[in-house]
Amino acid sequence: MEQFESLLTCCVCLDRFRNPKLLPCQHSYCMEPCMDGLVDYVRRQVKCPECRAEHRIPYQGVQGFPTNVTLQRFLELHAQIAGELPDPTAGQVMERCNVCSEKAYCALCAHCDKKVCDDCKSAHMEVLRREIARINNQIRRGVNRLQDILSVVERNTTNLQTNCAAVAGEVDEIHKRLSKALKDRTDFLRNEIDRYLATELRNLTNLKDNLELELSNIQSNCDLADKYMNDDVDWEDTELVDTKEIFLKTVEFLRNFDYEAGDYNRRVRFIMTHDPNQLVLHVASYGELNITQPHTYANSLQPSQGLTRSKSDHRLATQFRQQEDAKGYTENDEPILGGRKFGEKRPPPPERHTRDYGATDDYSGYESEHRPSRRFRSRFVRSHQQDNDSDTEQPSRVVKSENKEKEKEKTVEKRKKKKKCPPPPKPVQPTPQPARRPPTQRQQSEDDEITRLKRQNKGAASSQEPERATQRNTEEERNAITRKPPTPAREASSDGESDESVGTLQRTQRKNSTTIPKPTVATRRPSASETPSTHRPAPRAPSTESSASTESSGSAVKHTGAILTIAELKAKYSPTGLSPKPASRFFSTGNERTTPSTTNGTAGGAQRVQSRFIGSQRPTPAPAPAEQAHEDSDTSSEEETESSEESEEEPAAQRKPESQAMARSDIGPLLARSSNARNDTQENKSKDPPAQSRYRTRQPAPPEEEPASRYGASGSSYSRYGSRPKDDEMTSSIDDDTKYPTARSRYLALKERRNRLARTSPSAYLAARYGSGTGGSELSRSRSSHALKSRESSPERPVTGEKDGAALSSWARYLKNKYGSRGKDRDSSGTSSSTARRLSLGLPLRSANELASSDDDSKNAAGSPISPTAATAAVAGFAAAGSSPRSQYLQKRRLQFSVGSRGSEPGYFTWPRGIAVGPDNTMVVADSSNHRVQVFDMNGIFIKEFGQYGSGEGEFDCLAGVAVNRIGQYIIADRYNHRIQVFDPAGRFLRSFGSQGTGDGKFNYPWGITTDALGFIYVCDKENHRVQVFQSDGTFVGKFGSFGSKLGQLEHPHYIAVSSTNRVLVSDSNNHRIQVFDVNGRVLSSFGEEGSEDGQFKFPRGVAVDDQGYIVVADSGNNRIQIFHPDGTFLRAFGSWGSGDGEFKGLEGIAVMSGGNIIVCDRENHRVQVF
Amino acid sequence: MAALPRRIIKETQRLMQEPVPGISAVPSETNARYFHVIVTGPEDSPFEGGLFKLELFLPEDYPMSAPKVRFITKIYHPNIDRLGRICLDILKDKWSPALQIRTVLLSIQALLIGAKPGRPTCKRRSRAVEGE
Repeated sequence: MEQFESLLTCCVCLDRFRNPKLLPCQHSYCMEPCMDGLVDYVRRQVKCPECRAEHRIPYQGVQGFPTNVTLQRFLELHAQIAGELPDPTAGQVMERCNVCSEKAYCALCAHCDKKVCDDCKSAHMEVLRREIARINNQIRRGVNRLQDILSVVERNTTNLQTNCAAVAGEVDEIHKRLSKALKDRTDFLRNEIDRYLATELRNLTNLKDNLELELSNIQSNCDLADKYMNDDVDWEDTELVDTKEIFLKTVEFLRNFDYEAGDYNRRVRFIMTHDPNQLVLHVASYGELNITQPHTYANSLQPSQGLTRSKSDHRLATQFRQQEDAKGYTENDEPILGGRKFGEKRPPPPERHTRDYGATDDYSGYESEHRPSRRFRSRFVRSHQQDNDSDTEQPSRVVKSENKEKEKEKTVEKRKKKKKCPPPPKPVQPTPQPARRPPTQRQQSEDDEITRLKRQNKGAASSQEPERATQRNTEEERNAITRKPPTPAREASSDGESDESVGTLQRTQRKNSTTIPKPTVATRRPSASETPSTHRPAPRAPSTESSASTESSGSAVKHTGAILTIAELKAKYSPTGLSPKPASRFFSTGNERTTPSTTNGTAGGAQRVQSRFIGSQRPTPAPAPAEQAHEDSDTSSEEETESSEESEEEPAAQRKPESQAMARSDIGPLLARSSNARNDTQENKSKDPPAQSRYRTRQPAPPEEEPASRYGASGSSYSRYGSRPKDDEMTSSIDDDTKYPTARSRYLALKERRNRLARTSPSAYLAARYGSGTGGSELSRSRSSHALKSRESSPERPVTGEKDGAALSSWARYLKNKYGSRGKDRDSSGTSSSTARRLSLGLPLRSANELASSDDDSKNAAGSPISPTAATAAVAGFAAAGSSPRSQYLQKRRLQFSVGSRGSEPGYFTWPRGIAVGPDNTMVVADSSNHRVQVFDMNGIFIKEFGQYGSGEGEFDCLAGVAVNRIGQYIIADRYNHRIQVFDPAGRFLRSFGSQGTGDGKFNYPWGITTDALGFIYVCDKENHRVQVFQSDGTFVGKFGSFGSKLGQLEHPHYIAVSSTNRVLVSDSNNHRIQVFDVNGRVLSSFGEEGSEDGQFKFPRGVAVDDQGYIVVADSGNNRIQIFHPDGTFLRAFGSWGSGDGEFKGLEGIAVMSGGNIIVCDRENHRVQVF
Repeated sequence: MAALPRRIIKETQRLMQEPVPGISAVPSETNARYFHVIVTGPEDSPFEGGLFKLELFLPEDYPMSAPKVRFITKIYHPNIDRLGRICLDILKDKWSPALQIRTVLLSIQALLIGAKPGRPTCKRRSRAVEGE
């Protein structure tokens, strides 16, 4: 068998013959590789290894040698016998291995994609195995990362949950707050409306009653006249004259009296502070979720997303073995392996396919195609299968990721402030208050007489009055008390008004409080008032009237008129001989009164008023004290003044007629009675005042703000009433006077009564008050006080045209004050103020005091005919002061006028920036992009311009700041030329200094500029973040500020202003604040921070300070103007974004005129607005 | 390095299984083509009782070319030079693929028995032998 075996073995390859070829020497060898290897290609011979015989190679090569068929048969036979498996390589052709270049039976290698021999292939597989192991290790090591990420994800999950919960909580909170605010405001508004309705209704009914009363009175008068005007009754001539006067007045009154329907047509309007649509919009989008750090999330997400398709098919590896062949794998699996099943052979290159590999499958090891079982089911494969799953997973992931995103909420909270329409309340308020005091006094004074007469004549009817008065007083007190509590509430609720309301509250409270102490003062008063009265001669009444009428001519005259009126009155009265004294007295008394008040400051005003008030009132016997308590300082004060004046004047008048006259003259008593009746009605009204007072307290702000409309209306009513009623009263008073001229005793008695009544009787007060406040009340008041008023007020009437017709001297003064200040506001014309001043000079003490206390007084004055004392003294004082800055500022809001629009012609602007006030209140505007300076007069009328584009002398390049020094020179910050230029008052170039740089005296875009009283020039060196100071000739003096946000540091200072107290205010724009330095550059204070609340800024620009130290800031980013007290506390803000009146689009420079007008450059609207 | 040809593997196996008496050929552990060979001195020859070490290397184209064999042990023999190179026709032009390691080693052993003067590797020595 061994032999046999060896016979079947090729002696070259020592293997069994494969395709044995027979050489001619009869030796056989395998065709490949053995025979091949034997070929001597050079000689084309084959040398037999065994016999060394050399044979020629046939033409076709070794293949040409005949096959040893016998041997082959033997081989087959042997195979059959031995049961050997057929040679796997049978039928295959040997090829050169692509790796080792040996001839062998080659198969495709998956590793290198070549046909290689088995040896090489196994080697390759070994390599693969090793690589897999290596990679596996790497993966092991890398798993940590995944774990880290996993923990991070877990952390994020919890964070996300907490964050979302917190945000949700915040949103809820905001929602609660918003809804609460909304509800509160709504309730508040509702209540206000209800209250307004109630008061207004009451007033109307009162008015109605009054009118009816008046009607009946007049009729009764007429009847009486008919009855007694005959020969039966013995009449003195004077009495007749007086009676005629009275009737004439009545006629006049009838003719002139108009029911001011407008007063009660005042409609309550609901005004949204913000556009409701916008508000809704704001609320609707009151917050949004701000998702921060999206990138980080993306990052964190990526791993997770990546995981949606697990890349770790390692798992599979473990399963590889276990996965059995039985499980057929669907074809789907394999995208990763290029569509093959795991372990499947790669598709052989097309060429190779041709050959039948059949047997070679075995070689492929575990990967053979034919085997159903694949040991390793690749994860990858699987992953593909699971694609669907993974996809489905993904969305969920995404969701998660979204959740994860941390949301930060920007809660844009919108707070709505609904402002009630202020107007309605105002009118209401004034009426009740004014009505209370003065009317009572006055009326009573007059009425008293009348009442007495009546009593004498008719009996008990009038006797009740004092009682009523007392009642009224008590009521008023109650009201006052009740009034107080509501006001604070109101304060809280009404933001916009808060300031003023507070002020008013304080005032009212003060007044109330002050009233009590007053009595002492009051005592003083009466004496003063009375004394003058005594001095005055009776007859003046007619003359005063005439004078009043004469005075009434001009508004300007008015102011003067106020004082003049007094003077005139005096003069008129003086004719009797006493004139000088009363005047002096009057003033002196005024001074006295004022002084205490002034000392108190703001409160002083109120006190003053009261003191006055009290003074006048006090004198009245029992009822008076009660009244005092009740009296609202405002109306009462005025009326008191009136009353006091009346008392002064009237007494004289009264004296003449004397008590006898009373008794005698039936008409007088009748009249008096009518007046009393009125008073009574008024008293009733006076009861109402509490509610009104409320309004008043609340509303004073609005009236101040919109003095013209409200007050105008009321004022007009006044004037009318004043005039007519006065006439009437005049007549009445005159009647009294005239009637009883002869009977001195009578006159005196009358006087006394009057005084008493005036003080005691609330009705008088009421009347007065009504007169001032509401038409109806005025009516009553006017009636009662006609006489007085007619005298005094008539002049004023014409003057103001607005206010109180109550022409009493007090009124006049009052008007003067009011108008004086207001006139300034409006006209900014010096005339009124100057006259007022002149007048004020006459009253030195007062003016000074009032100046100090001007705020309150002016307010009061504006709000309502306030305290008479205030009216007289304070009013004059105001007028003198010419500005009661606070009140003035509180009134600011109404655009007076605006100048210019976009363009380059004279009077037009292109981005106006700096603005300054020059001599005579000229407005100097830096018309930046027109490269020129324009000068306007105080009425906005173009005066001149100078400058053009360039860098030469007198040329500008986008100038920014302007300033005017004491001698009228224009100092210009020539921004892009980095220099300061100085021009003479005519606009001719004088000099320039500075250049670009950071050194001393160099600039980097200089912006705002100003000068102080000494002529030093302060420049905001914007890009150098500092302020530089120069002498007026340009010599560098000093600098302060550096870049930063700390105290004393600046970031883009824009504008600068120096106060009269040498404080330097700088708008530290990018720090959103105003900083206050002394002239040496030391920081004194700073106020404001970024925001849009009151007292906050957004890039404040222009800053200005008036001579009282009030600070006005152009809050550019908020498009509003804010006004601050000298100490930097917030006073007022107004303005909003837009292009309408009083709206801004980017504010620049701002300045304050000497009259208190605020002028501001509205940059994007290319105009200058004046407030 | 390419895998060992089947023939070498077979030969090695055969050598291991049926060693030739007086001859041992063991492939190197690091290189299957390199064999450490020890031949005992044949009886009735001057080399009897001696052990002669040889090295045998199968070249890349073996069996088409002859293996390279060299005596490591110094031996005094007319057909073997000082460096151990063997002057034997089958290791040179008379090589035939039909020869094997085993046959080559047998031939070398036979050479030790009787020198072949016709082709001395070292003339002097052959002379000397012949001269003796």
